[in-house]
Amino acid sequence: MSQLHLPLQHLLLGQTSYLPERASSVAEGADHIFLSLFWISAVSLALIIGVTIVFVVRYRRRPGRMDPEASPDHSTRLEIIWSVIPLLLVMAVFVASTQVYQAMVNAPPGADVQQVRVSAKKWSWQFDHPGGKKDKDVHLVLGQPTELLMISTDVIHSLYVPQWRLKQDVVPGRYTRLLVTPTKAGSFPIVCTEYCGTNHSQMNAVAVVHADQAEYQAWAAEGRGADLSLVEVGRKAFDDQGCSACHAVEKPEGQDDGIGPSLFGRWGGTEQLVGGGTAKFDENYVRESIVKPGAKVVKGYDDVMPASALEERELLGLIAYLQTLVPGRGQDDGEQGERHEQGERKEKAQ
Amino acid sequence: MSGAAHAGDSYLTHGRGLRSWLLTVDHKRIGVMYLGVIVGTLILGGVFALALRLHLWNAGGGLVSNDTYNRLFTLHGAVMVFLFVIPGIPSALGNFVLPLQVGAKDVAFPRVNLLSFYLYLAGAVLFLVTLVVGGLDTGWTLYPPYSLEGARGLGILIALVGVFLAGFSSILTGVNFIATIHKLRAPGMGWFDLPLFLWALYATAIIQILATPVLGITAALGFMERLFHLGLFMPEYGGDPVLFQHFFWFYSHPAVYIMILPAMGIVSEVVSVFSRKPIFGYRFIAMSSLAIAVIGFLVWGHHMFVSGQSQWANLVFSFLTLLVAIPSAIKTFNWLATMYKGAIILKTPMVYVLTFFAIFGVGGLTGLFLGILATDIPLHDTYFVVAHFHFVMVGAVMIAFLAGVHYWWPKMTGRLYDERLGVTSAVLVFLGFNLTFIPQFIVGIAGMPRRYATYAVEFQGQNRLSTVGAFVLTAGLVLALWGLLASLGKAGARAPRNPWGAASLEWQAESPPSHHNFEVPPDGVSPYDYTTLKELPGDQGWVVVGKREVA
Repeated sequence: MSQLHLPLQHLLLGQTSYLPERASSVAEGADHIFLSLFWISAVSLALIIGVTIVFVVRYRRRPGRMDPEASPDHSTRLEIIWSVIPLLLVMAVFVASTQVYQAMVNAPPGADVQQVRVSAKKWSWQFDHPGGKKDKDVHLVLGQPTELLMISTDVIHSLYVPQWRLKQDVVPGRYTRLLVTPTKAGSFPIVCTEYCGTNHSQMNAVAVVHADQAEYQAWAAEGRGADLSLVEVGRKAFDDQGCSACHAVEKPEGQDDGIGPSLFGRWGGTEQLVGGGTAKFDENYVRESIVKPGAKVVKGYDDVMPASALEERELLGLIAYLQTLVPGRGQDDGEQGERHEQGERKEKAQ
Repeated sequence: MSGAAHAGDSYLTHGRGLRSWLLTVDHKRIGVMYLGVIVGTLILGGVFALALRLHLWNAGGGLVSNDTYNRLFTLHGAVMVFLFVIPGIPSALGNFVLPLQVGAKDVAFPRVNLLSFYLYLAGAVLFLVTLVVGGLDTGWTLYPPYSLEGARGLGILIALVGVFLAGFSSILTGVNFIATIHKLRAPGMGWFDLPLFLWALYATAIIQILATPVLGITAALGFMERLFHLGLFMPEYGGDPVLFQHFFWFYSHPAVYIMILPAMGIVSEVVSVFSRKPIFGYRFIAMSSLAIAVIGFLVWGHHMFVSGQSQWANLVFSFLTLLVAIPSAIKTFNWLATMYKGAIILKTPMVYVLTFFAIFGVGGLTGLFLGILATDIPLHDTYFVVAHFHFVMVGAVMIAFLAGVHYWWPKMTGRLYDERLGVTSAVLVFLGFNLTFIPQFIVGIAGMPRRYATYAVEFQGQNRLSTVGAFVLTAGLVLALWGLLASLGKAGARAPRNPWGAASLEWQAESPPSHHNFEVPPDGVSPYDYTTLKELPGDQGWVVVGKREVA
C-alpha cells in the first residue's frame, strides 16, 4: 500500500471530522480527550489574544495619554485564581485520560486475547498469526481483542495505525505489546513512526480487519506455504538446541528430575529467583533466560545454562511453543497448527 | 548624558585589531562574538530547513534522495538545537547584559567565559566537519541502535564530540552566571531587586549545571559503545537502547527550559519597559522560573510514552508534565496584567513580544495534548509534535531572541535600528511562522508521521502551505537582519544612553558601554521603577529627573 488513504478535511473550514475515522475500541475515548483539550486551548488562546488586543488598543501610549494609570503591581488573590483554575482543568483532563489510557494498554478482565507475533526490520513488517500463517500485513477479526507482541531485529521502529489511535515502539532486544480491539472492518494503513533510515517513510503495511471469524479463517487457510508455523519453529529449535536434556516439557515440576526447571505448565506463572525476588514467566522473561541465562535463575537450580545464539524468529517460536505447554490455554495454537498440517497433507495428496 | 561624547572610549574601540577580539576577556566582546557565530548557525540551520521544505513540496519528494533528506533534517535539528536555540539567548545576550544588569565590571570568571566561547566554537566547527565527512542521518535525538550502527561511519563520532564540547561550554556559562549573580551584585541590590531576565538566567544556569553533564556523559558513553562495544545501548552487545533514551531526555527535556526560560526573561523585561509599568507579580514570575527549572527535571519520561516504558511510569510522568503547565500559565497572565492600564509603546521589541504571547500560547497549550497519555499515543512522533516544538523552540524562543536583540542593540552597538523595518520584520516573522507550522498541526492530527522523506498525497496541500510559509518567515528574518546591520553604516542614528526609558542598570552605562561598563560603580535600583524617567524630544531617549529610589 504505497498511498495512505487518510481522510483530511480542513480544520479551518469548520469541519470537525478532520480526525481520522475511528476504528478501534479506544478511538472514541481518545477523541473525546482530544476535543476537550482542543476547546480548553481554543478558549484560553482566544482569551490571551483577545486581552492582548484590547489592552494594546485601550492602553496605547498616545498624545493625551502619555503615562500609565495607577494600578496594583501584584495581587496574591489573582495569582491564586489563575493558578488554581488551569490546575483543576488539566487535572480533570488527566483523570479522564487515565481511564482511556488504561483501556488502551489493558485488556478487559476475562477477555479472550489472541496474540499476533510481530517482527520488524528495515523496512518491512512480518506478522505471525495464530494458527501459523505468516504475512507482511496483519489480519484481525472485528471485535476480537488482539495483542501484537512485537520485537525488532535491527533498529527501533514504531507501529502506528491512525484510525486505531494506537502506537507502540518496536524495540530490539525486548518485546513490547500493542493491544487492539478493532471496531471497523476494512483495511487500514500501518506506518512506521520511529525514524529508521533510508526508507522509513515507506515502511508501510496494512491492517486488514475481517468482518467475522469465517472470513478470517478463509484467509488463514488460503495459500499457506510450506513455512513452519511459529510453534513448529519453536519445537524444532527446542530439539535442535538440546534443551530437553535439562528441561522437561511433559511432566510438571516435582515429577521431573531435570537439571533445569520443568517448562510444563509454567507459562504465566511467577518464578521465585535465586537471591530473592520474583519474575513473571512471560515473553521478556523467557527471552532473557535464553539470551542471558544467568540474569534470573530460578530458586533451587544452579546457574549452569549456556547462552544460545538464536534468531529472533526462533526465540519467538520458543515462546510460542512454551505457551502450548499449558493445558487449556495454548492448546488452540497447537491444534490449529495440526489442522493446517492436515490441510497441507490433503493438498499434497491432491 | 549623550553616549556620543564617550564614543571614542567604548568597549568596541578599546583595543584594536583581530587579536584584541579573539583573546578578549571582556564579557561584552565575548557576547558579541557569540552573537555573530550564533546568527551564523541560525542561517546555516535555516538553509537546511528551506531545502527540507522545498523537498516536501511534492508528496513523492524528488528534490533530493531519501538519504540526503535524512541528513538534512538531522543537521537542521542538531545545528538549531545545540548551536542556536540552547546557547542563543544565554550565551549571546546573557553574556552581554548580565554583568551590566548587576552593575558589575565583568562576569565572575572572565577567562572561563572565553574558554566557554571557544568550546562552543569548537563544537560548531565539528558539526560542520560532520557535514563534510558525509553527514549524519540519525535525527538530532541520536537514538541507538540506529545511530551507533557501523554504517554511520565517522560522522556520529565527530558529532558526539561536538555535542560534548558544546555541552561543556554551556556548563561553564552556567557556573559563571551563578557566581556573578551571587557575588557581583551592586551594593544594595537584593535578590528581589534583580531584573527578571537575571532570575531567568539564574534558573537556566541551574539546569545547565545539573543537566548538561548528563548529556556529556551520554555522548561519551555513546562514543565508547560505538568504539569498544561496552554493552550499554546496543542489544547486540547486551545493552538496552531505551536506557539511552532515558539519559538523552534527562538532559534534553530540561534543555527545553534552558531555551525557553531566558526567552521568558526577555519578555518580562520588554513588556514592563514598553508598558511603562512595573512588572505585575514580580515574585510570582521569579519563583515560577525556579519552579519550572525544578519540575522540568522530573518530566523527561513524557518523551517515552510509547517506548515500552511501564504504564505506571507513564502515568507519573504525565501527571508531573501537567504541573509544569501551571508556572507557564502564571507567567503569561502576569505579562498580560502588566499591560493593564499601562502606556503601551509599540516599538519593535514590544511588537515581537506581543506575537510571542500568541505563539507561546499555542506552543504551551499544544504541549498539553502531548503530556496527556490518551492524546499523546496517537499524536506521538507525528507532525503534531514537530509543529508543537517549533512553536515553543522557534516561535517563542527565536521571537524572544529577536525581541532581545532589538531591545539591547542600541546598547551593544551604540546605534538605533530603523523602527519601520523592525516592526515590518516582526509582522512578517509572525505571519510566516504561523503559515509554516499551523498546517503541520493539521497533517499531524490526520496521522502524518515525522521524519518522512515522502508522504501520502493527501497531505500535499498542507505541506505546500507550510513551504510557502517558510519562505515568508525567511523574508521576515532577512529583513530583521538587514534593518539591524544597516544601522551600523555611516548613516545609522546614534543611540542615546537610555533609548527605551528602562530602569535597570545596563541603561545607566554608555551606549555602547565603556570597557569598564560603569565609570562609577552603580548602586542597586528598583529595576521596574519608571516614575523618575522623563522622555527627551527626538531620538535622545530618556533621562532621570529627581532622585531615584535606591533599592
